[in-house]
Amino acid sequence: MTAPMSFSLIVHTRNSAETLPRLLETTAWIEERIVVDMGSIDSTIALAEEAGCRIETIEPSDQVDAVRNRCLQFANHEWLLVLDSDEYLSSDAQTEIGRLVNDNGRAFDAFAIPRFNTIAGQLMRGGQWYPDRQIRLFRKGSVAWQPGHHQAVEVKTGMDRLMSLSPPDCLHIHHANYASVADFVERQVKYALTDSYSDDFDFHCDLKRAYQEFESRFDVEADGDLSTALAIVMSWDKVIRGVLHWEKTGRAGPLETAFTLPIVVDMPETEELVELRERIAAIQASTSWRMTAPLRWVSTAIRSLRANGNALADDHGGAGRRRNDDE
Amino acid sequence: MELTVVIPSFGLVALLQACLTQLEVSIANARLDRFAIIVTDNGSGIPYSDEQFHCDHLRIVRTDRRVSFSRACNLGAAAQPADHYLFLNNDILLHPRALDDMMHLIAEPNVGICGARLVYPDETIQHCGIRMTSDDRAARHEFHGRASRGVSRTVRSFQAVTGAALLIRGDLFMRLGGFDEVYPFGYEDTDLCLRARLTGCTITCSQAIDSIHFESTSNKDPLRHTASRKVFMHRWAGRFSVDDRDET
Repeated sequence: MTAPMSFSLIVHTRNSAETLPRLLETTAWIEERIVVDMGSIDSTIALAEEAGCRIETIEPSDQVDAVRNRCLQFANHEWLLVLDSDEYLSSDAQTEIGRLVNDNGRAFDAFAIPRFNTIAGQLMRGGQWYPDRQIRLFRKGSVAWQPGHHQAVEVKTGMDRLMSLSPPDCLHIHHANYASVADFVERQVKYALTDSYSDDFDFHCDLKRAYQEFESRFDVEADGDLSTALAIVMSWDKVIRGVLHWEKTGRAGPLETAFTLPIVVDMPETEELVELRERIAAIQASTSWRMTAPLRWVSTAIRSLRANGNALADDHGGAGRRRNDDE
Repeated sequence: MELTVVIPSFGLVALLQACLTQLEVSIANARLDRFAIIVTDNGSGIPYSDEQFHCDHLRIVRTDRRVSFSRACNLGAAAQPADHYLFLNNDILLHPRALDDMMHLIAEPNVGICGARLVYPDETIQHCGIRMTSDDRAARHEFHGRASRGVSRTVRSFQAVTGAALLIRGDLFMRLGGFDEVYPFGYEDTDLCLRARLTGCTITCSQAIDSIHFESTSNKDPLRHTASRKVFMHRWAGRFSVDDRDET
């Protein structure tokens, strides 16, 4: 017979009184529950104390993932479970987590757990929203978070020590975090404003990610129109991040590839423009357009056309002239 | 709490919604004020959410992995203690007056469990009580498959009733420790009833009202009862009375 396992739960909070009760209710079986609070002014701490949690307080930080590493030391048990304050577990989680660790704890140090995400009242099934595995159950000392928001977690003992759970018939994390699309947009902007950015800037890469993001998030069959709405937001989030990155790196990098964005460019109708449109259509129709490799060519072509258009506008008082006037 | 209804369910959202709608009408007609409806979401591929169902008193208890019927029932019951528990399958459409009749029957002294009279959509009997047999099945549904109009509506006692719609006193359920979770699927209801009878209580079944039971909408495996039957026979063979009546 296997001895019962003991676990430590770590939860970061900041004015989490609305969502915390559900987490506390579904984790009541965990021996040691530590709430790491970052300056809550609502009833978060009172709720946690009432539930028997240990409270640790740290300075507020927008870089929660980086802060997590420091807080892992608060735990006293060998196995740690880390949850966000707006996440919760199912009623069979105690049984499933106990079984996972008992059966696999020798061969593995960490477990990637599928997560159900409910956004704007809808449980998401496609577009990378599911299974959205999270490394949240692990042996103390085996996992480290990276700087920034939602970056990949490092398993320090090697990826062969990571067990990935296969849905549907397995333990899940349940995540009900965004009340509306407006809430979703607000949070993405906040993440973008507070994220870490490298010293290397290439707007072409950001735009490439934007197109890839739309491609990967767009799944109408699974999630209906909400999938389209979120794909648009996530795609434009990459563009916004690119602009923020540009500013943080001293406004040094070029931004011309913005011409590849699906924005109507006001230019005189010329044979070259017609030819360009046909070539873009051909690229979009091919299987490779999403890789955006031809985008640099499109950017260059549009710049060239624009220059020609301006020259034409000088002769005929066209749209290009007005654009220059505005400048 | 006068009554907690526990509905173990896997997928089949539209059917569950119909079940809940009928249940709420039946509860209203039974004039119950303090009640709870617990749906045990038994590992559905897409978890249920409160917003999916138009049901004011609903609470969802979720398991990520599919568990046995017994376990799902016990989890639901533990979520809301009550004077009575009604265990109900998600493919049953309770008649508006069914629960009222069952509550009256269980109010009789010494009655610990009351079953429901269930018919298929073509009005043939799915369940109106269980008779214990001497063959290797050990139990059969009395008058199964017969036209309901030809089956007596006299209230009578049984050794067991189906767990598809089973009303039990809360204190009795607690004393018995709930359904025995050793049963993978099937026979846990008969086991519960036989254990209840050992405490001296009577088991009866509503006969006045027919409710609809589609039966086995989540599990159509013809061998689904085999493993549980072995467990049941190992535990109960020679320890229950064989009912003398056999109309087959």
